[in-house]
Amino acid sequence: MSGSSSRMGRSLLLLAPLFLFLMGFFVWPLFSMMSQAVSDPAVLRLLPRTAEIMGDWDRESPPSMPMQTALMEDLKAVDDDQALGDMVRRLNSARSGFRTLMSKTTSALGDAASPPPDLVSIDKRWEKPEFWIAIADALSPLTDRNLLAAVDLGRNSAGAIEHLPADQSVNRVILVRTFWIAALVTFFCACIGFPYAIIAASLTGWKRDLMLAAVLLPLWTSLLVRTAAWFILLQEQGLINDFLRAIGLIDAPLALIFNRTGVIIAMTHVLLPFMVLPIYSVLITIPKNLMPAAASLGAPPIRAFLRVLLPLSLRGVASGGLLVFISAIGYYITPALIGGPGDQMISSIIAFYATGSANWGMAGALGMVLLVATLLLYSVYARLSSDEPGRR
Amino acid sequence: MAEFIKFDRITKFYGPLCVVENLDLSIAKGEFVSLLGPSGSGKTTLLMMLAGFEQATSGKILLDGAAINDVPTHKRDMGVVFQSYALFPHMTVGENIAFPLQMRGIDKAETAARVKQALDMVQLSTLADRRPSQLSGGQQQRVALARALVFEPRVVLMDEPLGALDKQLREQMQLDIRELHRRLGLTIVFVTHDQSEALTMSDRVAVFNKGKIEQIGTPRQVYDEPATRFVAEFIGETNLVEGVVEAIEGREATVRLPNGAQIVSAVSDGVAAGQGVYLSIRPERIDLAEARGAARNVLETEVTDSVYQGDHLRVQLQNEAYPLIAKLGRRSREFAPGTKVFAAFSAGDCRVIAP
Amino acid sequence: MPMKIAKLTFALLTILFLVAPLIAILPLAFTSSVILTYPIPSWSLRWFEELFFADAWRRAIINSLIIGTGTTLLATVLGTAASLGLRNRLFFFRGSMRTLFLLPMVVPAVVLGVGMQVLLARFGLINSYAGVIIAHTVVAIPFVVVSVTGALAGIDERVELAAQSLGAAPVTVFRRVTLPLAMPGVLSGAVLAFATSLDEVVLTLFVAGPNQRTLARQMFSSIRENISPAIAAAAFLFIAATILIGLVVVLSRSMLERRTRPAAS
Ligand SMILES: Nc1ncnc2c1ncn2[C@@H]1O[C@H](COP(=O)(O)OP(=O)(O)OP(=O)(O)O)[C@@H](O)[C@H]1O
Ligand SMILES: [Mg+2]
Repeated sequence: MSGSSSRMGRSLLLLAPLFLFLMGFFVWPLFSMMSQAVSDPAVLRLLPRTAEIMGDWDRESPPSMPMQTALMEDLKAVDDDQALGDMVRRLNSARSGFRTLMSKTTSALGDAASPPPDLVSIDKRWEKPEFWIAIADALSPLTDRNLLAAVDLGRNSAGAIEHLPADQSVNRVILVRTFWIAALVTFFCACIGFPYAIIAASLTGWKRDLMLAAVLLPLWTSLLVRTAAWFILLQEQGLINDFLRAIGLIDAPLALIFNRTGVIIAMTHVLLPFMVLPIYSVLITIPKNLMPAAASLGAPPIRAFLRVLLPLSLRGVASGGLLVFISAIGYYITPALIGGPGDQMISSIIAFYATGSANWGMAGALGMVLLVATLLLYSVYARLSSDEPGRR
Repeated sequence: MAEFIKFDRITKFYGPLCVVENLDLSIAKGEFVSLLGPSGSGKTTLLMMLAGFEQATSGKILLDGAAINDVPTHKRDMGVVFQSYALFPHMTVGENIAFPLQMRGIDKAETAARVKQALDMVQLSTLADRRPSQLSGGQQQRVALARALVFEPRVVLMDEPLGALDKQLREQMQLDIRELHRRLGLTIVFVTHDQSEALTMSDRVAVFNKGKIEQIGTPRQVYDEPATRFVAEFIGETNLVEGVVEAIEGREATVRLPNGAQIVSAVSDGVAAGQGVYLSIRPERIDLAEARGAARNVLETEVTDSVYQGDHLRVQLQNEAYPLIAKLGRRSREFAPGTKVFAAFSAGDCRVIAP
Repeated sequence: MPMKIAKLTFALLTILFLVAPLIAILPLAFTSSVILTYPIPSWSLRWFEELFFADAWRRAIINSLIIGTGTTLLATVLGTAASLGLRNRLFFFRGSMRTLFLLPMVVPAVVLGVGMQVLLARFGLINSYAGVIIAHTVVAIPFVVVSVTGALAGIDERVELAAQSLGAAPVTVFRRVTLPLAMPGVLSGAVLAFATSLDEVVLTLFVAGPNQRTLARQMFSSIRENISPAIAAAAFLFIAATILIGLVVVLSRSMLERRTRPAAS
């Protein structure tokens, strides 16, 4: 027994450094990014006294005197006009009429000559609990605003979820585009990769090695080099256009770069190995004599393929497809370098929110959408490849 | 008999599964003991506990009078030969054999001399610089043997060391190991589930079943005097016939069979008159004749089938109550199916077994 | 027969699709022109000169080497230790630990990059070598873990038991048996970690300052802002290095196989 417990201690000791490292530099960053998406302490920071007192409020009775005094003092103490504006906007979106109420209130509070005794004396509306409810809700440091906005939803003044106006609805377009591009790339990879893997698995010796090397070489080559290579090939003066013109197929150069075509071609090239290799690894476990056996039982080649090879290799196609799709939805570099403005995927938008406009909330929310989608697909992939019967 | 190795009420659980149960076993110095039993009966587990790879859940293991439960493997000084040989794939044959000597801080010159001696012993002197992957199975097996013996361990443990070899090589290796045992005076604990291997090689055989020792004794004892039905059936082939003990006289019992026939059979202690028992009759001890002879036990039967098997003739018999099998020497005459015969055997050739 | 020709054509076209772009870029490394197009007017090494002597490129190469080395060391040590820990089958969280170690390979780089930028800034590690090395190590870890656990799984545990029974204390077993047998896996893990760091752009974009610009990062902005044949020269180096690394990995893999293959009988 002492042997096994000391072994356990040793394992723990060996695992601990990497575990702590990843907790600190992998899990925590992801977690803090996600928490940016749902946290909004701006109002809380502006109204600390109000927050303290309103904790006891029952959300029904008219505002008590201490509540009014606290809010007045908080508002008097605000010196950051930008933050105040943000807060008013948030309150107004929860309860219309807040904007006028607030401007009336702040100007009355600014009147040093005759300081108002309480808020109700400034405006009757301060008697209504609805306005205080809006403040109480805004004080909560948690918000679903960013998450809703990530899929182009928002809350109206009554608090119900509804679609954002069309001019603010960019995210859904980009999400749909991301999944569409990823699906197209997966489709093309499957169309090329499946037959390629079948041919490679049916060969032996140097022919098979050559076909595998042709997959592995790009896989091992720097992503930037591959992207640069496509940049060179696809550009207006690039080899593809030159070639097509030389054989007289076209007169004017085709637009292949900075558009969808270029992105799909380049991404298919980059991700093709991820399709070929899983399929190939499944195919080589299938006994070679199955197809001849099917033929000897009277199945013509197509039927033999459909009834024997396809079902057996479907698992490989599924894992390859998932792998390609997972990688594709997170792609950043290729669309950024080869695509035009209309081909940017969700990663680009996250990067834009984070670095371009410092909108951490939106970056976090979109990041969460992407991360959740990725992890869900990955768990399917992991299940698929873990209970592979041949591998043990 | 001096106890060199002693298992004292050893029990081993893997989780809820009891693999070895309250087991006692003593082994003398210089003795060759085989652990024989079906797959999963706990033989390897017992060996692993002796080698120190596994801890007993309860009970004590004594070596030369001292408890070794808490002695780590590398200080136990036991040479282990695994079924898969477990040679170091990144070392040459010579380096493999030198390893235990290096671990004991033996100087270079002596190490070299002893490695050479060990290689000579297993007749592999020319292969010292090969990698294990460049050897045949039998050669690897001999390297494993040399490596386990070169440091003159106090005990040599072998877990089905010959399992992966073909029949011819296996029989050769059996003789080699037996010869080494005799020449070096080794104490060997040998795990196998091949009964003929256990019978040919060992001084004593311990028959395992479900984590317990059913019987331990010399090869002759476990074959001729099986103590339990399991042992009788597991070792060799046997005819088991139900019956009731009518009387016991010394080492002989009279047993009445279901069809009324009376058999006089050898018996050991623990059987009482009136008890329902099994009779174990080894097929090769049965003689067949068309006339009732003078043997003490004669059963009237009819031949149902007779198959020539090269070294013997296998005859299936049947009477109104039970089937029997007889193995006759190759010089015996043929019996056509349907022939009425008398199956005869002496009292010493059958055995009463308590159910 | 037509089936055979169709197969052959398909295979050749796909090979062309896979490999041609990589080959097409190579000659452009030796162009004398300032634009990155064919035909090449005349041959010259000016872009390699640019690469090695122009300040931005030279710094980028040096940075890549520094960061790559740091990443390799950190990822190999952490990953190898953890892989050894994962060998313990009785360990309760073995599966979840393994998943955690492999997850950085799956998480989209931009998401990780944004999160890391915020966090490293909080620790004051943003725009520092340490920060970039840490970020690269996170994504290099899965490669080390996969490679080393693969090598360890190939070791017959009975070989280690045999060493113990022959008198080797646990530390000696590790030094004389486990480590030598796992070494090819550790080495190929280290190579993959280095390659990952060399190629990493997205995290670098988020956590590195101007002083930590790596070669890949420099290539990224060069393609984006002012593409020049220096890119092709860099690509040439990359592809040459890839082939070299590929050979090392293949050789060590086959070495691994030869060493740990259960001795044939
Ligand atoms: N590490 C382990 N964990 C759980 N159960 C185990 C372990 N090792 C062995 N067992 C179980 O203990 C029982 C006895 O195993 P053991 O290896 O001792 O059998 P054996 O007699 O050597 O069989 P064989 O002839 O097949 O080698 C088996 O049921 C086996 O499944
Ligand atoms: Mg066993």
